This record gives sequence, C-alpha cells and structure tokens, in this order.
Amino acid sequence: MRIQNTGLSIAAVASVLLALAGCDGSGGDGAAAASAKPASSEPRYGGRVIIGAFAEPVSSNDLFASDAYSRELAALVFTRLMRMNERLEMEPELAEAPPDVSADGKVFTYHLHHGVKFHDGVELTARDVVFTYRIFKHPDYTGPRASQFSALSDVEAVDDYTVRFTLSEPDARFPANVRYGILPKHLLDKVPVASLGDDRDFNDHPIGAGPFKLVDWTHGQTLTLEANPDYFGGRPYLDGVIYRFIANQSAGVLLLQTGEVDYLLSLPESEAQTVGEMPHVTLLGTLQHGYVYIGWNLRNPLFADKRVRQALAHAVDRQEFVDTILAGHGRVADSPASPVVDWAYPDDLPTFPYDPARAKALLAEAGWSPGPDGVLRKDGRRFSFMLLTNDGNEVRRDLGVIVQQQLAKVGVEVKPAQMEWGAFLDRVQPPRSDFDALILGWNLGNAVDPSNWHSREIAQGLNYGGFSNARVDELVDRSIREVDRTERAATIKEIYRIVADEQPDLFVYNPEKLAALRSDVRGFVLHPRDYIYAPEKWWLDR
Amino acid sequence: MLSYALRRIAMMIPILLGISVISFSIMYVAPGQPAVMNLDPEISFADRAKQIEALGLNEPAPVQYVKWLGNLLRGNLGTSFSRRVPVTTMIGERLPNTLLLMVTAALLALLISVPIGVLSARKQYTPIDYSVTIGAFLGLATPNFWLGLMLIMVFSVQLGWTPVGGVATLGAGFSVLDRLQHLILPAFVLASAEMAGLTRYTRSSMLEVLHQDYIRTARAKGLPERTVIYKHGLRNGLIPIVTIVGLMLPTFVGGAVITEQLFSWPGIGKLFIEAVFERDYPVIMGITMLGALLTVIGNLAADLLYAMVDPRIEY
Repeated sequence: MRIQNTGLSIAAVASVLLALAGCDGSGGDGAAAASAKPASSEPRYGGRVIIGAFAEPVSSNDLFASDAYSRELAALVFTRLMRMNERLEMEPELAEAPPDVSADGKVFTYHLHHGVKFHDGVELTARDVVFTYRIFKHPDYTGPRASQFSALSDVEAVDDYTVRFTLSEPDARFPANVRYGILPKHLLDKVPVASLGDDRDFNDHPIGAGPFKLVDWTHGQTLTLEANPDYFGGRPYLDGVIYRFIANQSAGVLLLQTGEVDYLLSLPESEAQTVGEMPHVTLLGTLQHGYVYIGWNLRNPLFADKRVRQALAHAVDRQEFVDTILAGHGRVADSPASPVVDWAYPDDLPTFPYDPARAKALLAEAGWSPGPDGVLRKDGRRFSFMLLTNDGNEVRRDLGVIVQQQLAKVGVEVKPAQMEWGAFLDRVQPPRSDFDALILGWNLGNAVDPSNWHSREIAQGLNYGGFSNARVDELVDRSIREVDRTERAATIKEIYRIVADEQPDLFVYNPEKLAALRSDVRGFVLHPRDYIYAPEKWWLDR
Repeated sequence: MLSYALRRIAMMIPILLGISVISFSIMYVAPGQPAVMNLDPEISFADRAKQIEALGLNEPAPVQYVKWLGNLLRGNLGTSFSRRVPVTTMIGERLPNTLLLMVTAALLALLISVPIGVLSARKQYTPIDYSVTIGAFLGLATPNFWLGLMLIMVFSVQLGWTPVGGVATLGAGFSVLDRLQHLILPAFVLASAEMAGLTRYTRSSMLEVLHQDYIRTARAKGLPERTVIYKHGLRNGLIPIVTIVGLMLPTFVGGAVITEQLFSWPGIGKLFIEAVFERDYPVIMGITMLGALLTVIGNLAADLLYAMVDPRIEY
C-alpha cells in the first residue's frame, strides 16, 4: 500500500520553526483565536493591509505547490468546497453545508452555493469542481497531491450545483482533502494537465471565485490583491491586501516599526519583546497545531529499551525549558496529540514529569551503571550520543544545550550538533538514517492522522526513528477506514497512549505561533495553522 | 589589439566550460537533495518520485550536465525546480535591479575613494593622511552586513530618512527621488567593500607618481598645483586603478548576495541564496554562470582599458 496523506505536515521546515515560541498578549490556552482588541465600532469598508512575508508563494495554484504561502494565496483568490476553521474543523465554504455521506463512507455529495461567479463573471458550477478534482487523477499530473486522492475513484456533477465524490474504499481523511481552490474550467480546459503547473499566464494572473482578485505580482517584490466586490460570501471589508516580500526577519520587524508593514507573518521568539513594546502593534500568539521533539534512532541499541527512553524523558525538565527559553509561550507535550484538536486528544496519557531520581532508577534497572568518568556504561559501552539538529534555529540550539546539561546529571553524555537544513535532512532521512538523536518539529497537517507511526513509514516515509509496533500498525490502518468520528477518536487516542508510553520520541513542547499585527486591524483571527485566515472579515479601524 | 581581444574572447569559452563543470560537480557532491516539494507528510514518496523523474533528477549527474549544457547552448537555462519558471525569466526579472545596484555602487566607490586617495597622497604623513588610513582600515575590517544593519538603524529607524528595504515605495508611482532613497543605502554598503581598498590603491599609486621626475618638471615650469596633481599626476596614477575597477565586478556580484538579502533588494543575489537553500540546481547554475561571465568580461575589459589608458602597453 502506498503511503498517503499522513496528516502531519513538517514543521521541521526551518523557516517555520524559526518562528517558534514566545509571545505576548492574547495567546490563550488551546486553539483560541486571538483578536487584536475588542472592536471599538462596527466594521468599516476600505483600506489596505500590507502583509510582510518572509517567503514568496510558489504559485497561486496550490494543486501544484506544496508550500503554506501558496495555500494561503490560493485561499484568497479561489474558493474551496470546505475550509478548515480555527478549531481545525472542516466547515462549508463553496458547499452550502457539510457533505451527505453514504452509509459505507464511500460517497460524499456536496451541494454548492448558487450564483457564485468567477472574477471574470462566469458562473462557477459543479463542472468546475469536477474539472479541478479530476486533475489529481490525471496520469500527467506531477503535482504533490496525487496520493491524497488515491482512494478517489470518481468525481461527477450530478447537476449544476451538486458534486459527488466516490471512493474505492473508505478513507477517513478524505473530507479534509476537499480544500483546493476551484479552477475555472472555461479558461483551463484547453491547457494540458502537464502544463498547468507551469502555466504562468494563468498562475500569475489567476481567475478564481475567492474574496480577492490578484491584480499584480511583481516577483521577488510585491503581490497585490483587490477586493472582489461580487464575492458570494459578501464583499470583503478591505479594498485590498498587499504582500511585501522581505528577505530577513530583522528587516520585517523594522518595517513593522516604521509602519511600512501592517501584519508580519511569523515572528521569531527573539523579536517578540521588541514587537510587544511597539505601541501601535499587537503581538498575537496561539498554540500551534504541532510539536517539537527529540527523536531517538531506535536502530541504535542505546535507545532500544523502553525504560531507557522513559528515563530520558524523566531526566529533561521540559517545563523549565518552556518557562525560560520560550518565556512561557508553549506547552509541555506528552504525546504527538495536538492540543488544538480536542476530539482526538486523550486525557489519560502516561506522563513522565521531571524526576532525575526516577530516571536514574530506570536506567539502573535497564542495566546501566556509572563508569569511572561518571558516564553510564553497560557491556563496555558508554552512554554517549550526538544530538543533531538544523542550524539557524536558536530555540533548537538552546534545547540541545539544555538537554546536554540535564542528561549529564543522570550520567548520559550528549554532544549537540547542528547542520545546514538540506544536509541535515539528507542525513536523517531514509535511506541514510544516520543519526543517534535529533531535534525536529512537526506542524500537524490538515487531517488528524497518526499514519507516520506506522512501520511502513520507516523505509520510505517520516518514521525517521524506525518505530515499529504491531498494535499501532493495526490501529493506524483501522483509523484510516473509520468514518465515524467517535470510533475514530477512540482508535487515535489509543495510538497516542501507546506512543506516549513507548516514548519513541521525547515529546518536548507544543509551540505557540506568533504574529505581529497593527492594532487598528480588526476582525482578525490567528489560525493555529494558517497565517492568513478569513481575510474577507478583516477591517481597518482608522 | 583586435586580435588580442578576439583571442581573449575565444579563451573565455574553455574557462566558462571549466567553471560550469566544477560548479555542477560541487553542487551535486554537496549534501542535500533539491527541495522539489516541501517536506510534507501529505505528500507521498510516490508523488515525490514522480516529480523527481519529471525533472530528470533520477538520471546520472553527467547525463544531467550534458543535457543542461545542450540547453544552455540553445539559450535555455532550464526551469526552476521549485518555482516552475524558466531560469532566464527569473534572472531577467531581477538582473536590472542588481545591475542598477552594482553600477551605482561602482560610481559611489570611485567618486568617494579616488578623491580621498589623492588627498591622502598629497597630504602624506599629515593628520588627514592618517585619518584616511585609519578610516580605510576600519572600512576593511567592518563586515558588510553589520554596516548595513547599523545604517538601517540610524537612517531608516532613528532618522526616518530612508526606507528599510525594497526598491520602491509600495503603491506609490514611479519617482526618481523615491528610487534614489531606496538605492542609496544598499549601494553605499556594497560600495564600502571596495572603497577602503580603492582609497589605499589610489594613495599609493599617486604617491609613486608624485615622486616622478615629470611631476617635478611640471612644478618647475610653474604650473599651478591643481594642474600638476590632476592633469599630470592623476592621469598616470589612475592606470592601476583601472585594473582594480575591472576586478571590482566579481566582488560586487558576491557582495550583492549579502547586501540584497539585508535590504530585501529583489536582485539575483537574493534569488541565489533562496536557490541554494532549496538546492534549485538550474537557478544555482544559471546565476553562477552569469557571475562567471561577468567576471571574465570584467577582467577582459580591465586589460583592454589598461592598454587604452597606458600607451606603453600594447597587445
């Protein structure tokens, strides 16, 4: 079986994790949205918001791009059947309501809003939806998303406003996948599928049915969008949104300070205090849909014994790390479960609080005893390993050093090291898997999906540590087929409980996501995953 | 002279070919794979493999090189792996910005350094000379990025005279003043890398010239000091400077990478950095070859200019 839609999305992307941690203001616990200030008046029309972005979207067509910026841009220009709200639940956008699902979980029927118009005035109908989703199934499609639709056997228009997706087998992750921008069939019908991704004529000047129209894209510099007055969800309050591409984070903070940028996407923890002190800026934070962890290479005999892994978890004071290095803006993690998704979060997880004495006892139980140099030994082998992470990320660097100090207290020698991102990935990913332990983070993706804990992900996938557990494999396979959310939640929670107990990774913390917004931008919600969410509701109180 | 120039141009071909082989090899030997897709678990290995095959990355490196070279000869630098856009388009969109920055920086460097160098030579061993010398060494010792950050802090943040970065004010119409405001700091930072050296070269070259017999003769004739210095002295003193200016070009290409990054200047330097992080081979190769081409052209221009300004040199 092919690996599909494993539901996690890497946070390891260095740029994302540069922005980890530390925030001020309204970062509540849980998935809370963070509104800048209580609105002082009714929403007003007019004005533009300038967004400072540290990377440029690859394309407005997110069928062919895999970066978050492209996904966010596509959501501005195009409309989607469903969107993921700030509680990470799918809610209708172009669809009038959640889909009708057949009893066997294989047929999903969506009813579309009537009278939705593309930016060129042509009506969007079921034909456009079918056109868009058939691209994924086309043999010439080389975009990144084919596997997400591997279970999709057919998509058809029942009538102008009804679309039916038929799956060959139940796939619980499918409903979260109908989030791609609907493309206009009348403009792209003649373009070969193989050329759609490279079609700069369209992708730089896209015609969608979303809340904003793309009017100019000067690559490397700016991207200008204007409100779509005919947006079916109501005209956006703003007249427009402008992206300004910024090369580095300090420049971004300066632009925010001088008022040349209104909203800064992602903020490094180190800049949080500076931004917090700017009178015209609000620092926003919300728990991210993700976690940062220390991954053990289970192929290494050092980490083969579960008691050793549990001991290591007891030996690291994660709370202190969150309180000091992250200035409290994060939450200690005990498992890979996302605290943002309530329904799949187990409340009875085994936990391993900071307890060096217990750590020492567990290590002794596993046969490790102090050697002449103070470092634990077993069968002539010293407990010493390299803890590898990518460079350019201060939080991870600090974590490495703190782990080194704290594990030294229980007789474990840690050598922290950093590598350039590309070289790092090359080394830790299969087939090389050449590491003892690593520090990495994940941004969890669209659907709640524990697939990466399946052993089939070891050879070709994201199970870097090589975790293999027959019960987990069985549960993962079951969770993919379970359409009923209550049953599925029970399965997923059991997976997380096993993983939390087995400690294949030392789960360190759930980071907070930070952004800086001018205080007079209202109607803003910081989404746990997306920086640009529901921009049609933003308005300026100027 | 013409035959020399033609010979030199012919020599460029093997040089550039050599550079391309070496760059291509280094790129392939370096760890890391092209980021054809983000590391996203919703993207399966199968999807990735299909894309890698479509990009021709599964072929042996020599085959990829030959294909790349074949395309290059047809004027095609390939398509960016990560952005799916022809490399010539990407470079074409950004090269004017980089050239503007480089030319301005070169002019700034010359206009500031040469007069200071001359002054320093004329006032040898005076407080002015010592100040210039100290200033030059300070300039040499100051990292570009640090200088840039300090200038941004002072002029953009504290004084608000210049924008923090970019090429033009967002949404404003074209205005020369606005462009100059955006240009001045990055151009100065880029120029500063060369100014210190250029000042020192001008000084020593002028010192040598000023001790020549013909300068003494000129003075003995009763020519005004200005004429002696600027007509008789500087013209001869500038000869070695011409070479330096020719060699400034490659330094600027390198310096632009840092400066553009610092000032969010949308030029090829910034593009290059992004391409390196993404292992976007066609873009890396395209910009490397452009840099190599500029370097050999700069060298050739310096040699030819040399013969023009110095009648004693013939090719």
